[in-house]
Formats: sequence, C-alpha cells, structure tokens
Amino acid sequence: MKVWLLYIDPGTGSYLVQAIIAGILGALFYFKNGWIKIKSLFSRDKKDTSRGNDKEDA
Amino acid sequence: MTKKMPDYIPHPASYRDPAGFIFRTNGLYYRQVNRSYCADYEELLRSGLYQSLTGKGLLIPHTEVDNDLTEQPDRYKILLPEQIPYISYPDEWSPSQLKDAASLTLQILHIALDHGMILKDASPLNIQFRAGKAVFIDTLSFEKYDPALPWVAYRQFCECFLFPLLLHHYLSTGIDRIASAWPEGIPATVTTRLLPWKSRLRLGVWLHVLLPASIRRESLPGNRTLSFNKTKLLHLTGNLGNILARLKTDTAGRSAWNNYYQHTIISQAYLAAKEHLFREFTGDIGFRSALDLGANDGYFTKILAEKGVPVVAIDSDWPCIDNLYRYTRLQPGKDILPLRIDIADPTPARGFNNAERSSFTSRMPADLVVALALLHHLTWGRNIPLPEIAAWLSMMTGTWLILEFVPRTDPKAMELIGNKRSFPPDYDAAVLEAQFSRYFSVDKQLPIAGTERVLFRMRKKTFV
Repeated sequence: MKVWLLYIDPGTGSYLVQAIIAGILGALFYFKNGWIKIKSLFSRDKKDTSRGNDKEDA
Repeated sequence: MTKKMPDYIPHPASYRDPAGFIFRTNGLYYRQVNRSYCADYEELLRSGLYQSLTGKGLLIPHTEVDNDLTEQPDRYKILLPEQIPYISYPDEWSPSQLKDAASLTLQILHIALDHGMILKDASPLNIQFRAGKAVFIDTLSFEKYDPALPWVAYRQFCECFLFPLLLHHYLSTGIDRIASAWPEGIPATVTTRLLPWKSRLRLGVWLHVLLPASIRRESLPGNRTLSFNKTKLLHLTGNLGNILARLKTDTAGRSAWNNYYQHTIISQAYLAAKEHLFREFTGDIGFRSALDLGANDGYFTKILAEKGVPVVAIDSDWPCIDNLYRYTRLQPGKDILPLRIDIADPTPARGFNNAERSSFTSRMPADLVVALALLHHLTWGRNIPLPEIAAWLSMMTGTWLILEFVPRTDPKAMELIGNKRSFPPDYDAAVLEAQFSRYFSVDKQLPIAGTERVLFRMRKKTFV
C-alpha cells in the first residue's frame, strides 16, 4: 500500500469493513439474480401462455 | 538587492492535502498543483475525466495560468478556477443540501471509476453551491484507481454524509447541528447510540453503521491482504447510493415557520402592500449581491434573485431553508444560496488557528442587506439591544439596507413580547432611526398600508 500518498486516514478497520460489506452485498446480489432468473422462468411461461391464447383468439 | 517576494496569501484551510493548495492574489482564488501530484493531474486530463465532469457541470472548470504567481520550487501548475461568489459549510446546510452533496460525491466517484480514477477523499467541503446546484470544487481530489484497494474515503463518506442523513431521516433534527458538533464527521459508535432501535430493521444500518462500530483495532487482520476488486467496490458504492436515495429530507409539519406566508402572516393585503413597496425600494438602486436576513420561505429572496445577482438567504429554521433550497435547485438562472444561520449565534471562525473556516460575519457581507420583520425577533426574542444590531448590520452591509420595522403594538410583536412588556423601554420608529443614524442615513421611509409597520431604505454612511 502506498501509505505516503494517503492524506486522509481510511479509518481503523475501514478496509476490513468494506471487504465484509462488499462480500455480503455480492452474496445478496448473487441470490437476487438467481431469484430473478427463477421468477423469469415462470413469468416467461405465463407470457408464452398468453401469447398462445392470443393466437387462438386470432 | 533584495528579491521581491511573490504577493499571495495561502488559504488557511488548504494545508491538508499535499497535492497542492489554494491561494489568493489580486482578489482571485488560484490553486497550485504540486509536483508530487503531477501524474494524477495529468491523468485527470488525459483520461477525459476532467472534460466529462466539467461538461456535465459537476466539477468546477479552471484554466491553467502561465504566470509563476507563487515562485515555489514545488509548483507544477497554477490553476485559475471559476470563482464561487459565496462559500458555505455543511453546518450551514439543510438536509437536502447535504443529500445533494452526497449524491454528487457518489456520482463523481462512479464517473471517475469509468475513467480509471477514484476520489481520494469525500469531504463535504469539496462541494459548494453555485446558482442553486452542488458543484465539486477540489480538482486535486482524484487519483489513479487501484482495483486491489477498497475506497480510502469510505469511512469519511459515511461519517460526513451518510450518518448525519440517517440521523435526520429517523429523528428529523436537521443536519446542521450534527455537522457543527462533528466537523470531521460523526463516528459510527456515536451514530449507533443515537439511532432509534427501529433503524436496525434496515440492512444498510447494519452494514454501514453497526458493523463498522463493532470493528475494533484488535480485530484488524494484521498484515493479511484483503482481496478486493472493482465489482466489490461498485456493490459497495451502489448500495450507498440506494440507501441515500431512500433517505427523507422533507420536513412535513415540523416547522413553526414554513408556510408562514401562506397561513400565519397578518393578511394577503399586507403581503401585497409590502411587496409593492419592496419592489419600489429595490427597483432604482444598483447592487451586485444581496443578503436576505430571516428569509423565511424566501418570498422576498426570490424577488431579489430576479435581478440576476447572487442572493444569500438565511434563516434559523432549517425546514424553511430546505424548502427554499428545493425551490432554488429547480430555478436555473436564479443564484440563491439558502443557509441555516441563527443571527444570534452565527457560524464562528473554526478549524486550526480559527482560520480554516471563516465566520459568517466576515464571509457574507453584501451590497444590499434586507431585514424584513426581523428586528423585533432579535430585540424581544433574543434580548439583543438595538445599537448592537445596528452595528452588526453596518458590518454586513456594503451600501444599502432595507429594513421593516414592526412596532410593539403590532399583533405579531405582541405575541413575541408576551410577558416581557417592559423590555426594551423605548422601541419605536424614531428610536430605531436615531440608533441606526450612527451608521446609516435614511433614504426612504414608507408605512406598509393597513399596518403600523414601516419599511426603511437606508444608505450606509462612509467614514473617511
């Protein structure tokens, strides 16, 4: 780390805190994306069904 | 033969950053870039970041000056930034002002990352308000981004921006007192104790307040290197942005003063008569700046701003200032700077040697000073004697003073006087004129129709 260039104190444990928070947020992001994918599977099914109905109506 | 020393004054607040400093010469503020910062400064220009930020109006533009104004061996470049008419500090801002400054900091951080640079600090003092818009003024706050490192200014951002805004969100306290009590930022440990329990239902409070407050020195990982990368940084700063966006700065039902002109004023006829006189009094005088004292919701500030001059509007009530700021930021072309200032306790000179941040009184004098229905609040509300008020107003006034006198028999004054009926013993328009005549000569004086109130226009006496 280039200590001589830092003119503010990042704070006791600030780097550790950021690593932990970024880890937690990354995990949440991963699960959220997974959840969106699962949801989109179902919603795509619904759309396909409705499109099918439209075709039938037409 | 002695060599002539360069004639410049370094800004007393500009000693912290080794990258350069601000100085003043010939009435203008300049910024020296030191040799130690030359690589980062060149990167700011080369990467297109400077052009991108100034093009969007987010960073103050500058021109490079050829003259060696400082004659310092350390000098790499001298910059002349666009000048800001009035400097203000976070302990004078309303919650919306601090929130906009926080959003600007994150916005600039993200644009910087797109250009391979990062903000090396996150001080609210890097931001000023210009024509109702927050603008970043510290050109030397950028450095080359190292993806292996977290954000060096994360803690400073939390302590100076996020924590005061979180406290305001839950407690509706305003942010000015917090910024005043903790000018370097309020620590996570203190914020934890002040936040109500229900705040702990929020993930952001757990992550950015409770977690940092619980990390102690002994739990540091020693020499172990922490793995970090740009994706992680963007998760972190994106989360800060999401939290910020949801924080309230509004003030519903909190103030005795907002909606004053809609509900609590004597009458609409009074307001119309006063506006008519005010327009007449300000119509035939020239002024390059104005200061509206006790501006309330800024009804008369807005009239002053129609002249196209910078107007500073102050009030002790932060919800009024917040409302006026929200109006101002939607009005391009009107240069209004609303600030929360209590005239009986204005911002003192602070920081090292009492010189880093100047006092309100020394910073804000204006060509025209307006004090409408204010004196009775200072005399009866705060027991300040008239001669003291006159002396202070003469310090603040460049040339013109417009003053509304409210006599003790006025219904609003009587509410204020309450049981203080015998104090001060003599308070009428003639006494006011006599007290003010030491510093001002009365130029115009007209009664406001339908009331006993009088509007004065005074010209400051020049002492030879």
